[in-house]
Amino acid sequence: MTTSTPHVHPPQAQPSDDPRVQLDEAVGVFEPIPPYPPRTERESEFYTLGDGEMYINMGPQHPSTHGVLRIVLKLDGENVVDLDPVLGYLHRGVEKLCENADYHHSIAYLDPLEYISSLFCEWPGVLAFEKLLDVEVPRRAEYIRVLATELNRILSHSMFIGWMALDLGGLTPILYSLIERDEIAEMLAALTGQRLLFNYLRIGGVNGDLNHEFLSRLGDWMSRATTQIEANLGLLNENEIFVRRMRGLGTLDKETAFRMAVTGPNLRASGVPLDFRRAHPYSVFPEFEFDIPTRDEGDCLARYLVRIDEIKQSLRIIDQCLHNMPDGPIMAKLPRLLRPRPGRAYAAVEGPRGQYAAYVVSDGTDQPFRMRIHDPSFVHLQSVGVLMPGHLIADAMAVMASLDPIMGGVDK
Amino acid sequence: MARSFGRLTLAGKILFTVIPILLVLTGGLVVLIVVGGKPIVDFLATNMWLVRFVVAATLVLLTSVPTAFLIIYMEMKVIALMNLRIGPDRVGPYGSLLSVVHGLKVLMKEDFSPTGSDRLVFTLAPVVVYMSAVMTLMVLPVAPTIFGADFNIGLLYVFAIGGLTVVGLLMAGWSSFNKYSLLGGLRSAAQVISYEIPLTLSVVGLLLLAGTMSLNQLAINQAGWFTNWYVFQQPLGALIFFIAATAEANRTPFDLTEADSEIVAGFATEYSGMRFGFFFFAEYVNVFVVSGLIVTLFFGGWNAPFPWPWPLALNIDLGSMGLGLLFAILLVPPILILALAAPFYVASSAIKWWQAVILGFVLFNLLVIVAITGWAFISWDWVAGLLWFLGKSYVFVFIFVWMRGTLPRVRIDQLMGFAWKWLLPASLLNLFVTAAALVVVHK
Amino acid sequence: MDGALKRRLQARFGPQLIAPIAQRHDETEIRIGPGDVPYVCRALHDEPAFRFVLLADLAGVDTGDVMQVVYHLWSETSPDWLRIVADGLSREDPRVPSITFLWQGAEWMEREAYDMFGITFEGNRDLRRIYMPPDYQSFPLRKDFFLPDDAARSPGAGVRHMEQSHAPTNARSATMIRKTRA
Repeated sequence: MTTSTPHVHPPQAQPSDDPRVQLDEAVGVFEPIPPYPPRTERESEFYTLGDGEMYINMGPQHPSTHGVLRIVLKLDGENVVDLDPVLGYLHRGVEKLCENADYHHSIAYLDPLEYISSLFCEWPGVLAFEKLLDVEVPRRAEYIRVLATELNRILSHSMFIGWMALDLGGLTPILYSLIERDEIAEMLAALTGQRLLFNYLRIGGVNGDLNHEFLSRLGDWMSRATTQIEANLGLLNENEIFVRRMRGLGTLDKETAFRMAVTGPNLRASGVPLDFRRAHPYSVFPEFEFDIPTRDEGDCLARYLVRIDEIKQSLRIIDQCLHNMPDGPIMAKLPRLLRPRPGRAYAAVEGPRGQYAAYVVSDGTDQPFRMRIHDPSFVHLQSVGVLMPGHLIADAMAVMASLDPIMGGVDK
Repeated sequence: MARSFGRLTLAGKILFTVIPILLVLTGGLVVLIVVGGKPIVDFLATNMWLVRFVVAATLVLLTSVPTAFLIIYMEMKVIALMNLRIGPDRVGPYGSLLSVVHGLKVLMKEDFSPTGSDRLVFTLAPVVVYMSAVMTLMVLPVAPTIFGADFNIGLLYVFAIGGLTVVGLLMAGWSSFNKYSLLGGLRSAAQVISYEIPLTLSVVGLLLLAGTMSLNQLAINQAGWFTNWYVFQQPLGALIFFIAATAEANRTPFDLTEADSEIVAGFATEYSGMRFGFFFFAEYVNVFVVSGLIVTLFFGGWNAPFPWPWPLALNIDLGSMGLGLLFAILLVPPILILALAAPFYVASSAIKWWQAVILGFVLFNLLVIVAITGWAFISWDWVAGLLWFLGKSYVFVFIFVWMRGTLPRVRIDQLMGFAWKWLLPASLLNLFVTAAALVVVHK
Repeated sequence: MDGALKRRLQARFGPQLIAPIAQRHDETEIRIGPGDVPYVCRALHDEPAFRFVLLADLAGVDTGDVMQVVYHLWSETSPDWLRIVADGLSREDPRVPSITFLWQGAEWMEREAYDMFGITFEGNRDLRRIYMPPDYQSFPLRKDFFLPDDAARSPGAGVRHMEQSHAPTNARSATMIRKTRA
């Protein structure tokens, strides 16, 4: 930054010249600068304009931010110099709501966190509750959990491919992704009763057993899943424009990834083969055989390709699940009124975006004392501030899309 | 009086405004004709070029709107089918009247301009953009003797007026008092300027071969078999022209001026209602103009791919039939209707006789239209030329729409890099090779 | 349940621990005072015996008596999650040194803990509210938080609510908040 002009808050300008217009405040310059002096070091650094820089506000209403997210960009022409995401537009107070609800009810609160992958949002909460209750989940329930969540992972990654292309300008791949999503949503609706917020996992098992309609849809879909996904991807992977825009963009190297606490496919695309299903196994994952796709480059293209490879691995896992499905109950025997032991439990799962975790503090009553939800999109959105400066606005959208944030999880 | 006018319904207001105006105008016209009719007609007869110009301008303006409607509908429907969805299918058969309804809708929206905008420039920007698109339509030869105006520097005129679009886009971006619009306007300026040079250079080779800049003459030169078309003599030039024209028309993959995933609607963010309608129409008229240019310059214009024997006269002397003509007119339609209705009536028992007759009547009308069109096609070369020109142009419009549905968009620096580092040298190479070949051939 | 990890931690951080190391299922928990957080975290991050390079979570907890900041770390050297509880922060003015010097990704997690509890992280360059509006008065996840009175103190208080805005009949005063030993 060369000369930094200290920001002077704009004086009150005259209101509209039409006498019928009543304005609450005078219409002035619409700069996205907060109307109070900067209170932190970073805020004053950001809200000080250098030479030839300007602010642009990608507001909460925007065709391309993945939900309601406001980003204030500091631009030098088309180059992004700095950015400041403003969150909170979708904050619903889930953690506080869970404190006032039963253990059973709080599972339903966990669903809308990352609504695309809602089974992964329920799972760590349920695991943490089971740790507090020292409950043994029956094997069949564990297998069904893995099956449903791997389907959810494929759904989430398919939608990612669609959004990635949409943010780059291609109008068609998102509709192909929606076809994929629709088929899986119908399947999961046959299993759980819901298309979007499944509310399927229960403490000690799952809600309903596999039924005929689910299995027939699943079998039907599995027989053509691979070719269908390959066909959808053919539109994008070979496309010169698409690849050139994503290659070398937003490179996240190993040290930066660990420093930014990045997990999941974003970390694996930077060369770190860390997958919590392998590194810290939970549920019945030790019994499955699957690879962990890793790439070294760490750019947007690597993150995109890692997710595509993960879809294929998920298909393998689903295959093994179906072949080895044990018989037995789907719910552990639990009393109706749950009173876990007073204590603390932490559980984490590997979801499509990274590590979903829950830290539950129990005080012996039937309501959680503290339900802390850790969400990967929240953590990854910080990396946007590290990766974007130096690129153009168009790249800003591409980088953000490649990190795959879902605003429900960011804002809890 | 004003109060009672204000109490009328909308229909009443229209009635009580329009009818008095019409009456006054009619009266004025009658007086004008009676008093000054003959001198005016004499004046016009000696200055036919004025009449021709006014008629041409009016027709071009009038036809630009249905063209835009058709291309808008085509884009929505074709992209929908490529996206495996249905697209418009409610308004009119297969949703074909959707564009018309959209046009009416934008007319009825509130006409505002944002606070802080430069009102005059804000209002004039869509006009500039639309007019430049329509003015380019004037010189496109659509049929052997049908064109708006035949300049002997027609091609130069097209490029000059095409560059006027960017002035309009810059006006829109600047006057909107909005940073998104500003970014969109500046991006479009950079884009159009970058691609203007390969665009013009790619046709210079063509000009060397043809020796004329008049578009009509270029179309005439490509008569005969399709191997006469200039695309076989200037393939690289055609390709460069196609790419540069896509960028000039702000179409995908070069549509970052209106990239709706980044800067909402670019230069048109603050526009609504008919002002936005003008931008919208101008874009699609531009698509048609660019397609028409490609067809005229490289793909034979209004010529058929094979030499058409003009005119094929159908020697039907209607007068010699005498009374038989009356019988033919009275008897042939009912017989044909019944003949066309019979198969449907026989084939399905669900179709009642009157439904079959209606179906037969519709089919009979279609048959008559096809017959008349075919006869016009055979008899008059301008009908055939028009249909060939429109067919070929719409093939290219379809290709533009296809590209929009398939390709993502490029980034601004990749776009400019492509123009300056690849297209410009390629078009210069094309020019040198053509010139060298001409020198060698003429030696 | 990693006994080796427990021995290593006890040997290395004996003086800093304020409670015995607890282990249950696949979690190991150590409790330290807030001032020791940078030392312990840097040691855990850098030393080859530990190599806890991944910050999994950073949370604030209000136990009713005291506030805590809870860190969860992961390492390849141990199959357990390591939980560090920085215990004993006062409820009136909770302060903890920030760990953004080690993990820049903790910045937003600390902002969230500040926003929800009022815990000040000293050394965080950007400690402002993240979810609530910047002029919000109180801290939502604290146990003595209730809504209507707080809304009356914010600049949005001029808005007419559907119901009267007053303290609820079962408002929890300071003696009635929910507490636990956590």
